[in-house]
Amino acid sequence: MNNKEKHESGLLHVTGKAVYIDDMPELPGLLHGFVFTSSVASGRIFSFNIEKAKAVPGIEAILCYRDIPGENQMGPVIHDEPALAEETLECIGQAIFLIAATSENTGREALRLIEIEIEESPAILTIDDAISARNLLQPPRKIECGSVEKGLAEAENYLEGKFETGAQEHWYLETQVAMAIPGEGQEMKVFASTQHPSETQALVAEVLDIPKNQVEVEIRRMGGAFGGKETQANHVSVWAALLANATGKPVKLRLSRDEDQIMTGKRHPFLINYKVAFTGKGKIAALDVELNANAGYATDLSMAILERAMFHATNAYYIPNVRIVGKAWKTNQMSNTAFRGFGGPQGIAAIENIIDRISRKLGKDPAEIRYLNFFGMKERNITPYQQKVKNNRLHVLWEKLIHSSNYSERRKSINVFNAENEFLKRGLALSPVQFGISFTTSFLNQAGALVNIYKDGSVLVNHGGTEMGQGLHTKIRQIAALELGISIDQVKVTATNTSKVPNTSATAASSGSDLNGMAVKDAISKLKKRIGESIAKILSEKYGYSCNSEKLIFKNNFIWDQPFKERKISFNDAVLQAYFNQESLSATGFYKTPNIHFDKVKGIGHPFHYYAFGMAVSEVELDVLTGHHRILRTDILHDAGNSINEALDIGQIEGGFIQGVGWVTSEECKWDSKGNLLNHSPDTYKIPGINDIPEIFNVELLKGYPNPNTIRQSKAVGEPPFMLALSVWLAIKDAVSAVGDHKIEPDLNIPATHEKILMASEKIKQEIQQL
Amino acid sequence: MEESQSYIEFILDGNVCRLDFHAEGVSPTTTLLKYLRSLPNHKGAKEGCAEGDCGACTVVLAELSQGGNLQYKAVNSCLIFLPVVHGKQIITIENLEKDGRLHPIQLAYYDHHASQCGYCTPGFIMTTFPLYKSAIKLDDEKIRHELAGNLCRCTGYKPIIDATKSTCSNPTKDHFSEEEGSIKKLLNEIKNNSKGIYISGNGQVYYSPKSLADVLKYRAENSDTLIISGATDIALQVTKKHEKLAHILDLSQISELKSFQKKQNEISIGSGLPLSEIKDLVKEEFPVLAEMLHWFGSTQIRNLATLGGNIVSASPIGDSLPVLMAYKAQIVLQSVDGERIVPVENFISGYRKTVLAENEIVTRIIIPKTGEGIIVRFYKNSKRNDLDISSVSAAFRVKLNQNKIVDIAIYYGGMAATPVKAIKTEASLFNNEWNKKTVEEAILILSEEFKPISDARAEAAGRRIMAGNLLLKFWFDTTKNHHR
Ligand SMILES: Cc1cc2nc3c(=O)[nH]c(=O)nc-3n(C[C@H](O)[C@H](O)[C@H](O)COP(=O)(O)OP(=O)(O)OC[C@H]3O[C@@H](n4cnc5c(N)ncnc54)[C@H](O)[C@@H]3O)c2cc1C
Ligand code: FES
Ligand code: FES
Repeated sequence: MNNKEKHESGLLHVTGKAVYIDDMPELPGLLHGFVFTSSVASGRIFSFNIEKAKAVPGIEAILCYRDIPGENQMGPVIHDEPALAEETLECIGQAIFLIAATSENTGREALRLIEIEIEESPAILTIDDAISARNLLQPPRKIECGSVEKGLAEAENYLEGKFETGAQEHWYLETQVAMAIPGEGQEMKVFASTQHPSETQALVAEVLDIPKNQVEVEIRRMGGAFGGKETQANHVSVWAALLANATGKPVKLRLSRDEDQIMTGKRHPFLINYKVAFTGKGKIAALDVELNANAGYATDLSMAILERAMFHATNAYYIPNVRIVGKAWKTNQMSNTAFRGFGGPQGIAAIENIIDRISRKLGKDPAEIRYLNFFGMKERNITPYQQKVKNNRLHVLWEKLIHSSNYSERRKSINVFNAENEFLKRGLALSPVQFGISFTTSFLNQAGALVNIYKDGSVLVNHGGTEMGQGLHTKIRQIAALELGISIDQVKVTATNTSKVPNTSATAASSGSDLNGMAVKDAISKLKKRIGESIAKILSEKYGYSCNSEKLIFKNNFIWDQPFKERKISFNDAVLQAYFNQESLSATGFYKTPNIHFDKVKGIGHPFHYYAFGMAVSEVELDVLTGHHRILRTDILHDAGNSINEALDIGQIEGGFIQGVGWVTSEECKWDSKGNLLNHSPDTYKIPGINDIPEIFNVELLKGYPNPNTIRQSKAVGEPPFMLALSVWLAIKDAVSAVGDHKIEPDLNIPATHEKILMASEKIKQEIQQL
Repeated sequence: MEESQSYIEFILDGNVCRLDFHAEGVSPTTTLLKYLRSLPNHKGAKEGCAEGDCGACTVVLAELSQGGNLQYKAVNSCLIFLPVVHGKQIITIENLEKDGRLHPIQLAYYDHHASQCGYCTPGFIMTTFPLYKSAIKLDDEKIRHELAGNLCRCTGYKPIIDATKSTCSNPTKDHFSEEEGSIKKLLNEIKNNSKGIYISGNGQVYYSPKSLADVLKYRAENSDTLIISGATDIALQVTKKHEKLAHILDLSQISELKSFQKKQNEISIGSGLPLSEIKDLVKEEFPVLAEMLHWFGSTQIRNLATLGGNIVSASPIGDSLPVLMAYKAQIVLQSVDGERIVPVENFISGYRKTVLAENEIVTRIIIPKTGEGIIVRFYKNSKRNDLDISSVSAAFRVKLNQNKIVDIAIYYGGMAATPVKAIKTEASLFNNEWNKKTVEEAILILSEEFKPISDARAEAAGRRIMAGNLLLKFWFDTTKNHHR
């Protein structure tokens, strides 16, 4: 088996034949759905008039909340998110009316003709506003160990400060889209670009007030998702289904790019306050950190995201005395949501910035301070939430990477470069990631699969995971082929469909292959047992001995008896024999991650199955006069266990890293004083382009460190590399710091746009003059 | 309209297709992307933004050059109104495969794992196609530059660069090479048989004449026309604001407006010449203009956008204006009554306003050669270097006599409602020594001279710093060169 197996849809991608929802053939009579949304961040609907809009020829339905047959709810965890606003408006872009039209033009015309009177009220737009208004979403969460008070009081060295991270728009290339097709009776089939078909199914059933068995949700592939389609894809599906139900016709609803950017939530902005005590050598003795998240107007996944930020607020470091307080604030913005890393990036950014400050204060190299504080192998290996860090790869990664990146030499030459150049400055930084793998809501760690073998030996695999580009279906196909010992061409992975595997969890938390791979393996082991028993019988008769079915080997398209290699039968023949033997060739599989628990009240537990580790070294060059940086070089060494597919894993690392680079540099969301998002299209919202990647980009997998107790000893790889982009942000900070000869702490937050870099450099220049 | 036709003809899937707007009830401002996606077998081009910023909709247009060759150009199909493709071949991702065999570019993308979700992939491959066909030598930098109009959110671009490099470094004859002769013939036939295109109905009039004389006559008789050249600005009114454009005069088929002339003391650039074609023509004598064009939009945008369109947009952050001002360019306006020539500085009359009369169009831009010892530079400061609109831009012209400033002109974009000349700042420098101290003093004056706004791109305070720093950078770059 080739562990650089190509993406199962690769050929369809390059020929333009891969079908996304908007590419599907349109059924006759298909209507287009549109959403009329709130133009105020906070207010009350006074009155409205939809008659003129209804009169536009081609408008087949305009719905408001009163037209919802079932529950007016789309909140995935807490029911605080109406499908359509009732009286109160809580953010700009909140849905109020739905329109079904025969064409785009008529739909847009109707949107313009809806009249609405709104009484606007003062809005809470920032975390600071929310703190002043004491607008907490839920009571604060806390994780605590040791004695922070004592640690801080006895501090040899002490720092405190405030730090902010910004919102990030997912910018999946395919905007949110769903197509709902009413069937006979109450049936509703929804093709939805969703990471969580089971939840989409549940919410559609609830708004329509029908049992879930009437709703079928299917997704073959998404054009990117990154967490943005974990809960918020439900909305378009729910809206499309409401319109389809009302009109009795198929309805497609696809958001335009601007609508998508305005209406859907982003990565949570965080405001972080911290106090830290450390020794003269740089060992952290105590950390008191408060993480404030801007949740937006509804709960969505905010509490779980906050929790993950808290788990990661010490990243790869052992700190004996820690207090991590997490607060999610309710504001009048779109409800912020899952995004690759799920709070992890914000938590890790907090501690990495702190370590950076400690190093500058002590005049030491930050890479050394990081090493000094890493979790230990035998001691100093307990996290603040009391999980023991096992199979720690931090030291081996650090040593290998410091060497391969030539860190120390480059540090020296950078110092020389900076002394010689007034307007160009270089910076260098290493940053680690230690990312906990598992859904922190323990019961979600389950998965199902359905595997069918047909009489010709071809195999169809269905599982609960969804394909959004990450290559999950490719890995599953590899796993199935390996387990059955057949060639990969014989295995097909189908579209994810709620009628095949029910009650699934979202494809999220990097857990896609971990969970679904295991479930597929479980199903296959049942099938192998059944086929094996038939074959054992045949071999026993044919060779006149007693063949033990458990000893049979499935490999290279054959099944043979372990001790007698010549006693074999081809897989395809075996399948047929099993069929004649009246064996079921269809099996379901199930998996739940063992031993996962966490007590939210005490802040103690074992929330993660294992940790994924990675490390990066980045060097940047800054043009001090324009604020522009170039990433001269990045070296990444990442731990993916025994990789199931190296090409896919490298792809996840490179792609995740660059997405992280966007978060820490050019991706900026700004709102005006009324709460209007200013950067709502790619015109002003800038994700990294092809020239923003490192000029030298070395990405390697750590070899020879298998992961115990996971599918094929592999590790999850979707999210962790995102956080390695902090090496770029830290390198930029290092370069800005060089403007003041590293004597002054740069005033830099995330994102470090060209403008923010200029402001920080300017501030340093002025402070130097005053020194 | 007499002497006109209400249909267009183009080549798609190797066949000449005729689309009659009246008969089929299609609006002329339907974009090429919408049209392609309405066909059963052309869903490979995707909509990622509908504003030219992502490249997912990229297709290739092949057209006859003035010398009669086939030119392949990657364009954003989301920004093209259908009549513009008249007389051209449309090549989509579906056309690359032939008889079940993948095109080498497709194979390379597949082999290099250059797709994850795959949504951006057809667009990238179509942007690669003209590179493949051009057989020019490509290094990493050139590839990145050419592909900068395509966004990918999944891969981090590295495998895309590798795939492009590997396939374009060794291009072989493909089925397009074989068909070139017959395609040229078909395109010539369309061209020779076509009249002006006039489409009227459903509250819209769209006229795309064949000659400049027809343009001027129509313009004189219809004062309410909206002119389009490349339509990269105007198309957004349809794709983003969902407006219905009532009356369009399309200049894209007028070859007189695509002229380029080099004279002893000046060059003259046709208002309708796509930016991508200007760059090579001017890079020796007007390197700063070429440099500006390098950073303008993307490959796909430069293949459509024109200098005429950029100037008449009169945007405070249009990139060509400060440069043309520094070069003392002149704008040629023409109407049925004749020509008049206006210095570019006088052409802009206010925020997105010009002195263009109702019956006029811009036909040419004249740029005089710079005199001996004159240094011109242009700087663009935007959030992302590629495919981004300036936060602040600046063009400078200076002449030094033994390091004394004997001529200085400073123009900024993004600092006011129009591109502006920093008169006070210039005055403080004039006749002074060209050194860091005088420049730093001038920057203090500059910081008082304008009141820039805060918007989605930058804050007022940031813009002030950028403006000052660009002047310092200019000084630094000139002195650096002197030392060399
Ligand atoms: C994705 C994207 C990126 C862009 N990047 C940049 C950039 O980097 N820098 C920059 O400056 N701009 C940029 N633009 C803006 C735009 O592309 C340019 O202004 C371009 O030069 C406009 O040329 P056009 O031919 O497409 O104009 P059109 O859209 O055809 O016309 C623009 C305006 O000029 C008028 N007009 C056009 N031709 C004539 C004529 N001959 N006589 C009289 N009036 C005329 C039109 O009526 C209209 O008002 C970008 C736009 C997009 C969509
Ligand atoms: S759809 Fe994004 S450039 Fe055309
Ligand atoms: S592969 Fe998903 S956007 Fe490029």
